[in-house]
Amino acid sequence: MNDRASLEPRNGSRLSLFKRHENLTVTIIFVCFVTIIAVLQLIITGGKYPTFLSPVNLLNILQQVSVPGIVAVGMTMVMIAGGIDLSVGMLASLVSIVTALGVSKWNLGVWGSILVGVATAVALESAMGFIISRVKVEPFIITLGGMITFQGIALLLCNSREVIMKGELNFIKANLIAGAKDPVTGLNLVIPPYVLAFFLIAFLAGILLKYTKFGRRIYAVGNNPNAAFLAGINVRAMRLSVYAIIGLLVGLAAVMLLSRINVGIITLGQGLEIDTIAMVVIGGTALKGGKGNILGTLIGVFFLGSIGNAMNMLRLPSEVQFVAKGLVIVVAVSAGHVSAAVSEFMSRRRKVPLPLPAAEVKQV
Amino acid sequence: MNAILRLEHVSKSFVGVKAMQDISFDLRAGEVHCLCGENGAGKSTLIKVLSGAHQPDEGSIYFEGEKVTLTPHLALKLGIQTIYQEHIVFDSLSVMENIFMGLELARGGFLDRREMRRQTVEVLRYLKADISPETILDRLSSGQQKTVEIAKGLVFKRKAIILDEPTASYSAGEIDNLLEIIKAVRASGIGIIYISHHLDEVFRLADRVTVLRDGRKVSHYEIQGLSKTQLIKDMVGRDPSTFYQRESVPIGEVVLEARHLTGHGVRDVSFMLRRGEVLGFAGMTGSGRSELMELLFGSAPLDGGELFIGGRRVRHASPRASIRNRMCFITEDRQNSGLFLEQTIAENVMVANMVNTREFFASPKEDLRTGDGFIRKLGIKAKDARVRAMTLSGGNQQKVVLAKWFNTDGDIFIFDEPTKGIDVNSKQEIYQLMVGLLRAGKAIIMVSSDMPEVISMSDRVAVMKDGEMVGLIEKGAITEESILTLSIGDKAV
Repeated sequence: MNDRASLEPRNGSRLSLFKRHENLTVTIIFVCFVTIIAVLQLIITGGKYPTFLSPVNLLNILQQVSVPGIVAVGMTMVMIAGGIDLSVGMLASLVSIVTALGVSKWNLGVWGSILVGVATAVALESAMGFIISRVKVEPFIITLGGMITFQGIALLLCNSREVIMKGELNFIKANLIAGAKDPVTGLNLVIPPYVLAFFLIAFLAGILLKYTKFGRRIYAVGNNPNAAFLAGINVRAMRLSVYAIIGLLVGLAAVMLLSRINVGIITLGQGLEIDTIAMVVIGGTALKGGKGNILGTLIGVFFLGSIGNAMNMLRLPSEVQFVAKGLVIVVAVSAGHVSAAVSEFMSRRRKVPLPLPAAEVKQV
Repeated sequence: MNAILRLEHVSKSFVGVKAMQDISFDLRAGEVHCLCGENGAGKSTLIKVLSGAHQPDEGSIYFEGEKVTLTPHLALKLGIQTIYQEHIVFDSLSVMENIFMGLELARGGFLDRREMRRQTVEVLRYLKADISPETILDRLSSGQQKTVEIAKGLVFKRKAIILDEPTASYSAGEIDNLLEIIKAVRASGIGIIYISHHLDEVFRLADRVTVLRDGRKVSHYEIQGLSKTQLIKDMVGRDPSTFYQRESVPIGEVVLEARHLTGHGVRDVSFMLRRGEVLGFAGMTGSGRSELMELLFGSAPLDGGELFIGGRRVRHASPRASIRNRMCFITEDRQNSGLFLEQTIAENVMVANMVNTREFFASPKEDLRTGDGFIRKLGIKAKDARVRAMTLSGGNQQKVVLAKWFNTDGDIFIFDEPTKGIDVNSKQEIYQLMVGLLRAGKAIIMVSSDMPEVISMSDRVAVMKDGEMVGLIEKGAITEESILTLSIGDKAV
């Protein structure tokens, strides 16, 4: 038929370093970013230890990113499975209002209220997951609808007012290392339980994705739903379950967020969907699904979380911060593609012409 | 003669494949000239040369006596319109908008909707097509959509229209309609090149017939006095001794029996499959073979009929159930339904077998070992099982798909076009792997449009036509002619 055999092997035996370690590009950019900030601080303060890298500030960043980080872990799974979830922000607001109402008005007790709040999130996400897995409508649209609906429900529940609590959830933000001092600044060090929860959840999700059949199936469904179906995977059930999981994580994250500010309010989760999607995408998860991992997402979480913090350290006005944050996202995400394209180009140059597309050869 | 289009000694090759060799061909005004030939005879290439999509390597093209170098743009400008098998229409626009797309009539900078509508109505009336110009295209049947494409040719006073298998998946009534429309177009003085696998259409329409085989022109006839048998004889005629010689394997007991399977465009298909045999399914594109395979594998719902595996009645609700019943399905479209391109060989190999294991945890390390094992066993050209499937060549990708199914330790293998788009060497390797399966006591169902492949690999050949199984040819009687007669000739032959 043709002499394509002579062009073989076009195998991937020479993977570039960047392809082999998919998180490398972003890590390098992240490290560069941290270095630049630290150096800038050194210059500004005239040689003193950069406060950006002080333990108290690093723990501070951790506290800020833990809640969006938990949601980002869920978003990673949804996006690997080929979906997306725009409703997480409003859902978090809704959960905070439900939980706050449970504690302050419905007298469900602290644990009862948390349970009701988290269950609400799981139920609503599962409902969206059910629709997405049965109907051929883009998850983008379904979850956009969900976002608006949840906002409405939340406003109805709280009569468009905030629900104030009296610190019943303070145990979630208790300091686990009370009394420890930062050797650099002399300030109190704080590690609340929810930071540990974030790491635990990320760890479990990492295991789930990489070392269980469930995880492998998530990748398969996101990568090629047709082939996944023919390989005996229940594609609908997989799609439904990733949304149930993100529901659980949004529920937990919302309760943690509530504990930090003690007020159930509609603005609580505002912008959460944008931040988490940005974190996940910076971490190398493909919008079209089938690709990504938790480690990458963690890098994305810390990266995005430290941008705002670093700008504050440099005393940049908030208007400038927006511009810088946006640019960093664009650069970080493009860099992965650029490095992939470059290594592809290099490996093509090394070998000779590519074989014709199969279809072209056959349709003679 | 008043030829609109004339090809003289045209040749065209692709990377070592001679798709057209020294073909001369002409089309006159007001005639239907049919092109006949098996899959891969060179018809598509000829069309692509005429529509300007491919440039010939040798030979020349004349349009109304003048030598031309066709490009798709020039071809349209001269008045040569090609209507491909798959519709290229704008689903959400109206009939009128589709006809005038890109060539809208305007007056003073605004669309002249009235004039466009008038012309559309006039042409549709001439074609006796009962379609309103305002109908949105996705409301129309595929036959009506084809009519709209043909109407476009009339509106813009084309000189030649090329129709590539226009009736591939139509109902009988729609075909009659379309043939009438084509006759009307011919009467208006347009030259038509018509390609069809259905010989009865050829005999109802054609003024002249040209037969191609393996990229060469075999014969040329006026329709008067031509017989179907003569036509089929011209279309076949390869030398069977050049085919792949398969070793034979003792045939065992029946492992799968289908009784009156119906659904998904397939009607009343019954057959038995035995250990150690290849049951080939031949037929033209669109004859329902792939659909039948989907029914067998449970990826499309069965409306009627029964399926037995190992003597036990099974109801395949899903591929999941079929895999548990030890079936394997190597689909035709590797990239779309077989491979996980972004994932590694190891991940591809393990995916189908997950159905058969009960553990919650997966072991990437063990999967890598399994993957490496298959790389060695099947001779996949890759460094190790960490390599992503997308970086492999067609033949190696197909081997990865095979490894995925070998890994499930299935008993019944369905191969849909097992060597499509694969180079010669890999082809042989895949045949050898298939024989290996037979020797291990497995059974194979093979759908193939590659005639030499069907003949050399099959122990028996079932022939499908229009969703039905029109015949089962036993070992000694498998020839190109017997298969082709069943798949394109009359049922009674």
